[in-house]
Amino acid sequence: MVLEATMICIDNSEWMRNGDYGPSRFQAQADAVNLICGAKTQSNPENTVGVLTMAGKGVRVLVTPTSDLGKILACMHGLEIGGEMNLAAGIQVAQLALKHRQNKKQQQRIIVFAGSPVKHEKKTLEMIGKKLKKNSVTLDIVNFGEDDEGKTEKLEALLAAVNNNDTSHIVHIPAGPNALSDVLLSTPIFTGDGEGGSGFAASAAAAAAGGISGFEFGVDPNLDPELALALRVSMEEERARQEAAAKKAAEESSKQEKGGEEQDATMTERASEGASEADNKKNEFLQALAMSMDEPASSHDLQDTEMSDAATEDPELALALQLSVQDSAKDSSSQADMSKLLADQSFVSSILASLPGVDPNDPSVKEVLASMQSQSEPQQKQDEDKAPKEEDKK
Amino acid sequence: MSTAESATAINRNQVDLLDFIDWSGVECLNQSSSHPLPNALKQGYREDEGLNLESDADEQLLIYIPFTQVIKLHSIVVMGSEEDGPKTVKLFANREHMGFSNVSDFPPSDTVVLSQDNLKGKPVVVKYVKFQNVRSLTIFIEDNQSGLEITKVQKIALYGSTYGGNDGHEGVEED
Repeated sequence: MVLEATMICIDNSEWMRNGDYGPSRFQAQADAVNLICGAKTQSNPENTVGVLTMAGKGVRVLVTPTSDLGKILACMHGLEIGGEMNLAAGIQVAQLALKHRQNKKQQQRIIVFAGSPVKHEKKTLEMIGKKLKKNSVTLDIVNFGEDDEGKTEKLEALLAAVNNNDTSHIVHIPAGPNALSDVLLSTPIFTGDGEGGSGFAASAAAAAAGGISGFEFGVDPNLDPELALALRVSMEEERARQEAAAKKAAEESSKQEKGGEEQDATMTERASEGASEADNKKNEFLQALAMSMDEPASSHDLQDTEMSDAATEDPELALALQLSVQDSAKDSSSQADMSKLLADQSFVSSILASLPGVDPNDPSVKEVLASMQSQSEPQQKQDEDKAPKEEDKK
Repeated sequence: MSTAESATAINRNQVDLLDFIDWSGVECLNQSSSHPLPNALKQGYREDEGLNLESDADEQLLIYIPFTQVIKLHSIVVMGSEEDGPKTVKLFANREHMGFSNVSDFPPSDTVVLSQDNLKGKPVVVKYVKFQNVRSLTIFIEDNQSGLEITKVQKIALYGSTYGGNDGHEGVEED
């Protein structure tokens, strides 16, 4: 999740009319640009991307680095093909655009699509590369399209001058059956940027291949990036609060009940935010779990082992569950009990909902659910009646 | 001032500002990744002669050091070897995020040309009045002693004082 500002340099010269990369070189380039923009903004929401064209009448910045994906995609419309690519000027203007980025903490990166012949000298390119390295700008070069004498050599020299610890990359893409963007997905331009990029690339590639991709949280980041982001953020927040709550619980378990209640009340408030995504099945299961916590010691052992099954994947969850077992063991059945169980259940349910490793459809979890339900069905119905009333009161 | 005094020109009020550096914001442009800035700045590393800060693409270095509180800079020590140690050093106070392209845009708060003595550890006293209220310091190393491709810096130490405590108020308290 590197924080990055990227400038993409597009080649819109006459050579882009060629159809050897279907449907046309220019279209293939545009698709690749869209893909890159998506990947960058996905891997870190604070990333910004800008676009400029290198040919046409001259180097023209279409959009300065922004995190607004719509703006970037919109500017790609109505681009005209013509002229000759000016690689040196393009890179220098890109560097200037990055220099004036709003968030100075972002790393600077330039991605160049070099589809037409390079008319500059190798020396010139090397000097440009050195200047980029000096200002800690990384460069990715996509070499496709025309392949005249010396082009590859020049681009390799440029990369060597810029490269600092393998942060810059060059990719050579020959014409072929695969689309430009598909080939790009497997290159370090996508994957070299860390897990975020590769996660997106992996899921996009899987979707492209027609397979089922395992998205985090069961939400397709492509379809609903905001929801995916919100889920991710709430999971992280929950994790942090879990730890804080576990600490608090450890301290307060030796204190009075009232202290414990307050903490549970706040836990409820927080948990209810996170629990908005929990589905009914989980709720039932966890209510059952929580109800069975109330039962006498004999079933406690059984329930402890079952709970530990569910909880082995997350030691924090295990700790929280243990502590809530302790708490509820001390209580006599009363309203205080209800609120505690509610807190536990919704708290626990939110944890389970947000844990990427726990799958409600997992056979072991289903087993526990079945045994829990058979144990505590009558109690569950009774308590379910109480639970909504409790929520109303709150 | 006798030589003995100037050698310990780190006089009573001046402390090593190492403790006030905000490490999370420290940046260095054009440093070699195998020889980065901490080699010259951090306690322990800077004493080690084998560990240097080296420049990468050319001989210039741009170092940005923010502080955790406002300080007054009194003097600096820049140590290096005879041939590839730094020569011209420009200091900018309170300029955020400078790049090599805008070092010439504004005048430096002070310019220091390092002599061989300085490179061996003799502190350079800076124009105190220009460094009264320093939140961040940018050190631009423009060239090195022999004009070589790579500049190597063994140690950078900053001496000055802070506003907290009795610094600068001693005169008042005497009343």
